[in-house]
Amino acid sequence: MPLAVKLLIFSLLCALPAVDLGWKLLQDNLGANPVETLEHTTGDWAIYFLLLTLSISPLQQLFVPKWPIPMHLIRRVLGLSAFVYALLHLAVYFIFDMGLDIDEAVQDIATRPFIMIGMTALILLIPLAVTSTQGWQKRLKRRWQQLHKLIYPITFLGILHYALLVKADLFMPLLYLLLFSVLMLLRQFKLPRLR
Amino acid sequence: MSHLKESDITPREWFLNRRQFLRSIGAAGLLSTPLHAFADNALKFQPNPLYRPDLKLTDTEHALHYNNFYELGTGKSDPYRNADQLITDNWQVRIEGECAKPQTFDMDDLLGIEQEERIYRFRCVEGWSMVVPWIGFPLSKLLNKVEPTSKAKYVEFISILDRKNLPGQRFNILDWPYREGLRIDEAMHPLTLMATGLYGEALQNQSGAPIRLIVPWKYGFKSSKSIVTIRLVEKQPISSWMQATPSEYGFYSNVNPQVPHRRWSQAKERPLGSFFKQKTLMFNGYADEVAALYSGMDLRRHF
Repeated sequence: MPLAVKLLIFSLLCALPAVDLGWKLLQDNLGANPVETLEHTTGDWAIYFLLLTLSISPLQQLFVPKWPIPMHLIRRVLGLSAFVYALLHLAVYFIFDMGLDIDEAVQDIATRPFIMIGMTALILLIPLAVTSTQGWQKRLKRRWQQLHKLIYPITFLGILHYALLVKADLFMPLLYLLLFSVLMLLRQFKLPRLR
Repeated sequence: MSHLKESDITPREWFLNRRQFLRSIGAAGLLSTPLHAFADNALKFQPNPLYRPDLKLTDTEHALHYNNFYELGTGKSDPYRNADQLITDNWQVRIEGECAKPQTFDMDDLLGIEQEERIYRFRCVEGWSMVVPWIGFPLSKLLNKVEPTSKAKYVEFISILDRKNLPGQRFNILDWPYREGLRIDEAMHPLTLMATGLYGEALQNQSGAPIRLIVPWKYGFKSSKSIVTIRLVEKQPISSWMQATPSEYGFYSNVNPQVPHRRWSQAKERPLGSFFKQKTLMFNGYADEVAALYSGMDLRRHF
């Protein structure tokens, strides 16, 4: 199978959660609080994709990369998916929570730290998404690597954004934080090749 | 479906044909639920014409499947999913403290009090809201039975503690059992209801069966579910939420669009089932009835 087709299939897989939400939205089947469902699901997937993006390097070291798609391409699609879900997350917030009112949104973002933190993470994702192409990678050379290390603080901010939102049950944000910590820790070691 | 839960809604025709129905599901091996689960839903009540506002009722589906009841889990659908883990057999409510006649009531006693139906607005501190028909009786009727003394300045409500069965109580997300409180004049207010039913039927477990508090002008968490003890006390009690996050949850917790939660605005709310928000009303629309309780108080300080 040509690489382009494989990539397309993989991208479509990454789009499945969004397609599922869109389908349920059309069917009016998002539950009692449809906007909350949209917000939480898109937010969750943005964090999942960030964590998946971060897990590629360690996986690449642990296992000989005899994967059907080169790992750097997988990572690019995963990272772009995180960006797309974060954008959808923002869109739902802006359309349904803020009623498309820019003044209200600006005030809301300014007065609520957890929203500001989420916005910061999303804004930091923009340069990474823009420079994700091979062209930009060549143009920026060394700098590209440095720039894309932004993914670490971005993921942390995303998890913090979630943690600051919950009322009492910190289980899920702490679980994400644990996964993030493990993925960061793995980067401190030269990992053995398992296969 | 491996077994039927008490929380499964019983359509009326099934209820009427229940013997035949039980035979058929018994034959199918589905009958792992006590038989009374099908017969207990009927409640005798009268609609109270004073509380029938011209408001659109929230879909039953939404109100029964989207709940905050941390004893059954912190997810919105957890209480419905885990409803059968709340054991309500032989329920009793103990009323004690600063009163002349402390007493323990069983559910027959409590259901013996004249039951009325009232349509109330309900506003969650998280920013969603609903309009539902509760069945129950004014709390004042119950408190008068125990004759509160002059020292009874506050009322504390203590909910079920069952660490063995309640999945949410295996973690100390809050300091269990759930505790809430009201000032005595708030507790005696005619709007304050002890609810035993919802949508014409006995309360389902995820809604706080078998008996819960409803204080319609306060955020939903003030309306304790599955209450086992009501204590009349002299000092202002500390609720579970006040204890967990004192900067965010005060004793009064009146619905107030002008006083934001520390992390979000309270100016608007989203009715369950709706995509767009509507303005939140002062005291959740009950200002005419309850504003006088707080005259002279700084509601920003006493949030």
